[in-house]
Amino acid sequence: MDPSLTEVLQFDEHQLRTRLAFFRIGEEELDRLAAMRPLMEEATAQIVSLFYEHLLSQPETRDFLDDPVLVDRLQAKQTAYFLQLFEGRVDLAYVENRFRVGAAHERLGVPPRWYIGAFDRYLGLVRERLIGRGVAGAELVADLAAVERIMHFDAALAIDAYVAGHLATHARNQAALRELASPVIRVHDRVLLLPLVGTIDSFRAQQVMESALLGVSEEQARVLILDIAGVAVVDTQVADHLLKTTAALRLLGAKTILTGISPQVARTIVELGVDLKTLHTRNKLSDGLELALSLVGREITDKERGS
Amino acid sequence: MTPTIPILRVRGHLLVSVQGELGDDVVEQFQNDVLSAIERDRGRDGGLLVDISGLEVVDTYVARVLADTAAMARLMGRHTVVCGMRPEVAATLVQMGYMLDGVETALDVDDGLDRLGLPR
Repeated sequence: MDPSLTEVLQFDEHQLRTRLAFFRIGEEELDRLAAMRPLMEEATAQIVSLFYEHLLSQPETRDFLDDPVLVDRLQAKQTAYFLQLFEGRVDLAYVENRFRVGAAHERLGVPPRWYIGAFDRYLGLVRERLIGRGVAGAELVADLAAVERIMHFDAALAIDAYVAGHLATHARNQAALRELASPVIRVHDRVLLLPLVGTIDSFRAQQVMESALLGVSEEQARVLILDIAGVAVVDTQVADHLLKTTAALRLLGAKTILTGISPQVARTIVELGVDLKTLHTRNKLSDGLELALSLVGREITDKERGS
Repeated sequence: MTPTIPILRVRGHLLVSVQGELGDDVVEQFQNDVLSAIERDRGRDGGLLVDISGLEVVDTYVARVLADTAAMARLMGRHTVVCGMRPEVAATLVQMGYMLDGVETALDVDDGLDRLGLPR
């Protein structure tokens, strides 16, 4: 089973008390909410259906609700959710439930703006009910305040779940990217290849250097081919990073061959005045491979010639 | 007493393995010892191989002395190779702008002896 979101988000009793205090939800507000429950039970069916009417009337939210079976199920859930607002009790189980609602919306890809917008519709429907009840003055104002506070408290929890969901996705992507960012491939005995694709920023350049150095050290490689055919932009910074990587590899005792230099990149490098003279460079990876093999005392020959 | 770094004479070549942490005084002593060993060895044309695989940390001062020593040994006619630098040391030196230009490097002692032309 998944760990509870209250655990993941480190939401404990202390957090709960702090947050309730911040939203100014105390005994009085909870009592008021509980007192409204009979009225709301009566009105639930209508409020939930008006709420869905609103969602279905807007193109932005309608797209998420194109399945009638799903809508039926959601309406049932919504009823339970709605009535829970008027339990008059907010504990960690309540918080967990709200987190789950937010996380479910995040997974479905409902952006927070529609979530908050839908919330406002809910609030409006409840407000109409309370006003229509015939109690006016300070009592009405206090009841309305209690409803607003609990709903905003709920929305804040949903947003927490949204953010946590996004951060988790982001962390997963970052990890995947790190693995893809600098793969070191052993192409021959003591010859490594590091193909670079995409954009190189300083963070990635650092990784490239680390993987290159570790690869060379682990494989006891003599030569590393750095193929930059897939690098979109080579500016002074990228050139500088490449030079540093080469220099560090040299300190280890390995040679670097830079391949995949397009005419455009060659022009940039010369125009920038970057000194790449000390580097072995080749236009094509295949040429770089031949050079690498010759550096380790091998060569590619035709089968015909050998026989 | 300052600990000294042993300098081995292997088939006409000088072999130094630098281990552990290097204090400033040890490095200076090391430079003096290497240079006098070369002087004593006058007439021979063997190389000098400095293995630094035992160095976990190389600060800028140590890096400079190593580079200087290599340059001095070269001036005295010795083919000099530094070998076995650790990846993290190389990364740090380069980040600090110490490229050790002009110092010949090798992966390990084996590779270094190859560079000095010692037959396997």
